[in-house]
Amino acid sequence: MKKIMLRNVLISAVLSATSSLTLAADGITIYGVKSVSGAFASYGKYADMGSKLAVEDYGDLLGQSVHYETIDTEGNAGKAVRKVQEAISQDNARFFDGATLSSTALAIGKEVNKVNGVFITPAGADELTGSDCNMSTFRWSVPTYGAIRQTVKPLIDKFPEKKRWYTITPQYVFGEALLNNAKAVFAEEGIEHVGNSYHSLKEQEFSGYLTNAMAAQPDVLLLLNFGSQSSNALRQAVNFGLKNQMTILVAWSSGLDQLQELGPDIAEGVYFGAQYWHTVDTPMNKALVKRVKEVYGMNPNYPLAADYISTTVILDAIAKAGTTDSAAVAKALEGATYEGPTGSEVIRKADHQVLKDYYLLEGKPAADMADQDDYVNIISSGKSFPDESALTCKRS
Amino acid sequence: MMKQKRSSLLGGVTLATLATVILMPLLLPSATLATEILIFAMAALACNLLLGYTGLLSFGQGIFFGGGAYIASICMIHWNFGLLSALLSAMLAGALLAGLVGALSIRRKGIYFVMLTLSFSQMAYFIAYSVSDWTGGDNGLLDIPRPALTLLGFEISNLVSSEAFYAFVATLFMLIFIFARRVIHSPFGTTLVAIRENENRASAVGFSTNHFKLLAFVISGGITGIAGALYAMLLNFAPLSNIELQMSENILIMTIIGGTGSLFGSILGAGSIVLLGDVLSSVWPRWMILLGIALIAVVLFMPSGLWGGLGSIADRWREYRRSKEPEAKSREAN
Repeated sequence: MKKIMLRNVLISAVLSATSSLTLAADGITIYGVKSVSGAFASYGKYADMGSKLAVEDYGDLLGQSVHYETIDTEGNAGKAVRKVQEAISQDNARFFDGATLSSTALAIGKEVNKVNGVFITPAGADELTGSDCNMSTFRWSVPTYGAIRQTVKPLIDKFPEKKRWYTITPQYVFGEALLNNAKAVFAEEGIEHVGNSYHSLKEQEFSGYLTNAMAAQPDVLLLLNFGSQSSNALRQAVNFGLKNQMTILVAWSSGLDQLQELGPDIAEGVYFGAQYWHTVDTPMNKALVKRVKEVYGMNPNYPLAADYISTTVILDAIAKAGTTDSAAVAKALEGATYEGPTGSEVIRKADHQVLKDYYLLEGKPAADMADQDDYVNIISSGKSFPDESALTCKRS
Repeated sequence: MMKQKRSSLLGGVTLATLATVILMPLLLPSATLATEILIFAMAALACNLLLGYTGLLSFGQGIFFGGGAYIASICMIHWNFGLLSALLSAMLAGALLAGLVGALSIRRKGIYFVMLTLSFSQMAYFIAYSVSDWTGGDNGLLDIPRPALTLLGFEISNLVSSEAFYAFVATLFMLIFIFARRVIHSPFGTTLVAIRENENRASAVGFSTNHFKLLAFVISGGITGIAGALYAMLLNFAPLSNIELQMSENILIMTIIGGTGSLFGSILGAGSIVLLGDVLSSVWPRWMILLGIALIAVVLFMPSGLWGGLGSIADRWREYRRSKEPEAKSREAN
């Protein structure tokens, strides 16, 4: 008897533990694909906070309550895909946002598209709105084309005498895309590209590449890596004294969280490209900053803002479509214009790319910082996107 | 003699494994999760043949897993291979890669052997990363199909539903499990254990230990290649992380936690790691610390892994019951 009871207790414990993972709540649920654990947890944490807050702020929709479920990618694209498959097949999940890694975003976009769902991501891979675009995938972040146009070009305009540029590039698709765009701007502006150093995706020690850069005697060092690689490359460049010898531009920074990690001593005088900055003077951003300070006691950073607006945009599209039919919601997103954190943002129908501003920032000296997050001045901002005729996105 | 052989292959542990495989999709939240566990159990089982039965700590398992995934995917995408031919190609690729890695690595022993497998692992990662036209590089290989299961031109199942794919993976897993049992109970398997226990002595009695070790590598690589191909079919996607060093580490951890020298332990190891990740990651972002603690605890207190631990608990329980029997009998007599 005792054995049977023990067995029943065990089975019910397993079932109750697992059912909490599988039962979808009634109403409309947004699924946030975030790396809340694993190697990219520091990014995923803020992205998750952004989506949660957006759902909390939205209230009811179409007479139904709105819920938010986190899908933890564990920083692993394979795990992310499997969990998204589960959410689709078991919870009938159709609305997704997030994904830090490009590989995760590309694979999830394919899975969501199989059920005509909706997926908005801030991931960096240009393929998302290019060769691997589909009806379900939308991208909030500016592609490599815009990131280079809105950083390299304004810096050339600011320092017309600095004609010699050197690049350090991670050797994979994303890095190559940034480099090719940079080369195109160099050619247009008559800039001499005095050299490039490729490094692998796992590289964390850049002294060899920096020595090569010094030997080429450039006026500007353009770092085309991102995340911890760009932070490490920049730190090592500053330690080598390169900041005093040349201008340094980090074309694809992650914004506030990266600057907090670097500190003003490293960031001072360095130029950064960013998708978002919390002091941008737009009505929606002011409201977002106020709300995030109220709830979390901090300024919003890029992952938080990106996932907040991505979630809000999906909810707005559901409201606009007047239905939770995901195919209709995807249609409602196409061509939509809304007030985002960077100002007026438009979702281009042709490739599902959000047309928004990209920023060029300059690191301030510590003495000039008005508060603990006032690391930079915004030098310029604007929208640059490939023309529709040049798009590689071909959807059936 | 015949009876003994049959019981070792199809009795006891095999039946327990079959029961576990049948119960898994019923008890777990989804058939997809159960499929992932079985695929990694397959990889851990293959690793067990090397680590548990031959005593070879290989960090090259990710090469065979990723290699199998890429080869099967490329064959399906570019040359329209069917399900079974894609799996066969993955098995051959895994076996071939294992043959190459094994042939060079087994020339050294101990730490040098481990270092060689580590080096091969890093090399394989950078090769996969560099030939992005074939592997998708860092973005991973997308749009991998999951072909229908056909035999002699007849479609048995389209494998579209997660349950159907689970059934297919489970069948394959059981076949591989029985094959692995056959291998370890054969004279070849006994020789592997002899090499693990004392290679010099095995060599002194006339066994060409390097040939045995190489064959163990090839068998392990072939099975791991199949696991990699199944994983790619499950996800319709082959991430670069399949061939990373971390994949080799994960497979090794699953093997050690489940129990080296126990094929059933492979399911326990894979199940606990995959489930721990799923459950704990939603509770605590730093759940990997708990995984580290679990690994330390298993190595210190359950050197034979979870399976060994369960076995010793059962032994103690039996001893306890036995010690209580005389008391009960004397009470009855009174």
